[in-house]
Amino acid sequence: MHLLGQTLISGFLLGGMYALIAIGMTLIMGVMKIVNLAHGALVMVGMYVTYICFVLWHINPYAGMFISMLLLFVLGSLIQRYMINRLVEVDSILPENQVLLTVGISLVLTEVIRFIFKSDYLSVSTGFSGKTVFLGKMSVSVPMTIGFVIAMVFTYLLHLFLNRTDLGMTIRATAQDRDAAVYMGVNVSRVTMITFGLGSAFAAAGGSLLLPMFYLWPDIGHLFTAKAFIITILGGMGSTAGALLGGLTLGIAESLGATYISMGYKDVVGLVVFLLVLLFMPGGIKSLVKR
Amino acid sequence: MLRVNHVHVAYGDVHILWDVSFSVGEGELVALLGANGAGKTTMLNSISGLLHPQEGEIEFSGRNITRVPGHKIPALGIAHVPEGRRLFPEMTVKENLEIGSLSPPARQKRKETLEWVFTLFPVLKEKQNQMAGTLSGGQQQMLAIGRGLMALPRLIMFDEPSLGLAPVLVKHMFQLIKDINQQGITVLLVEQNVMQVLEVCHRAYVIENGRIVLSGASAELLNNKYIKDVYLGI
Repeated sequence: MHLLGQTLISGFLLGGMYALIAIGMTLIMGVMKIVNLAHGALVMVGMYVTYICFVLWHINPYAGMFISMLLLFVLGSLIQRYMINRLVEVDSILPENQVLLTVGISLVLTEVIRFIFKSDYLSVSTGFSGKTVFLGKMSVSVPMTIGFVIAMVFTYLLHLFLNRTDLGMTIRATAQDRDAAVYMGVNVSRVTMITFGLGSAFAAAGGSLLLPMFYLWPDIGHLFTAKAFIITILGGMGSTAGALLGGLTLGIAESLGATYISMGYKDVVGLVVFLLVLLFMPGGIKSLVKR
Repeated sequence: MLRVNHVHVAYGDVHILWDVSFSVGEGELVALLGANGAGKTTMLNSISGLLHPQEGEIEFSGRNITRVPGHKIPALGIAHVPEGRRLFPEMTVKENLEIGSLSPPARQKRKETLEWVFTLFPVLKEKQNQMAGTLSGGQQQMLAIGRGLMALPRLIMFDEPSLGLAPVLVKHMFQLIKDINQQGITVLLVEQNVMQVLEVCHRAYVIENGRIVLSGASAELLNNKYIKDVYLGI
């Protein structure tokens, strides 16, 4: 029985961190109406930044995370300003060309990182990486718990930002009706820059929190793109609360798969859940609530 | 106050507005009348900076605003109540009003303006925490107007405010626009509802296929033979 409990808890904790990454993707999707297929690559770059801070300057990953978030905010804003926004202005053959662009960005980021760091597996080992605490008979990983708590704090802060500040309000308004936002005096291209920056910073935060538990190599980004995409579909696109629920669902599903099937198949379980949701609940978790 | 000089607008190869000129004086209530597809909304969007004329000039308070980007227009004192209301459906009534006052001067007076709008539309105060998407059509139109007023504009432009409203409400709506004008706010009203608009406005321009074909004081136009034949059907 305690094995199940332990599995559920660690899935829940893992899911909270996945959710943070997916919330970044959802934010971008809501405002830009595009699937950001470079999201995982941004997570990966964020992880490398935190990794460098740790290896070169011995900065604790939880502190390095803030440096990583700041850098990724800037990187994301620049990508939006100089690449994606430019594509919005031109007539295209394919309406999906912004999505294709994000695929290209993802490849470039991945290969640049490979060029600098090679394809080796890297990891940070802090004093607490392997630490656990016991809840009765169940052991709970310390870095996962810290990561979960930080992820929830960030999620709550984002919620406050979107609902309590004028800037947050303009982001929501732009997501709902871009032209009407312009009528209100919203500088839409600035809002999209900030949104992409924030989404990227959240990607970096999620990646950094997972760094003590995951091996790091350049292609890990694709894995996170897939996860964020699955969560976003699960949660219904563009909804923060949905992304949170979707993240927890995926985390628990993967964790159950790892315990009861095989560690190597945990990602497969996530994908199976994804297929089932697409087939039977195409509106995501939201479609349960509405009925 | 607002002066539109020989404006041409085209979307790609499609020419929408041809040599349109008109003006709105301080404190006036001026209407731009015309059928669907005459180019009325395109005209308002050009003033609002969502699109820019290929030729001609738009002047507001003596300043050339032809190339001013859309997001800088509200701060100059122009509010646009768009066709179809264009509310933010998943934001509350109060948030929809608050977002009307983003420019710094309007932002400063947000609280007082909100109270003023609530006295104009008590129903909005009642429903301030409801999502805008849940309001009825008439209430949504009030919210759209309230949102425009939140910018404390000197000129407010209405694009077909009567669209989709019950006849009783339409009358009420035009009376309200007249009241707003009497509080000292200049109004540019775009409508197809010729008869009722001519009863409230000072002057009107008639636009057909992107060209101004007729203009004058509203009393004059009400007796104009062409207007009677084509628009009033009497």
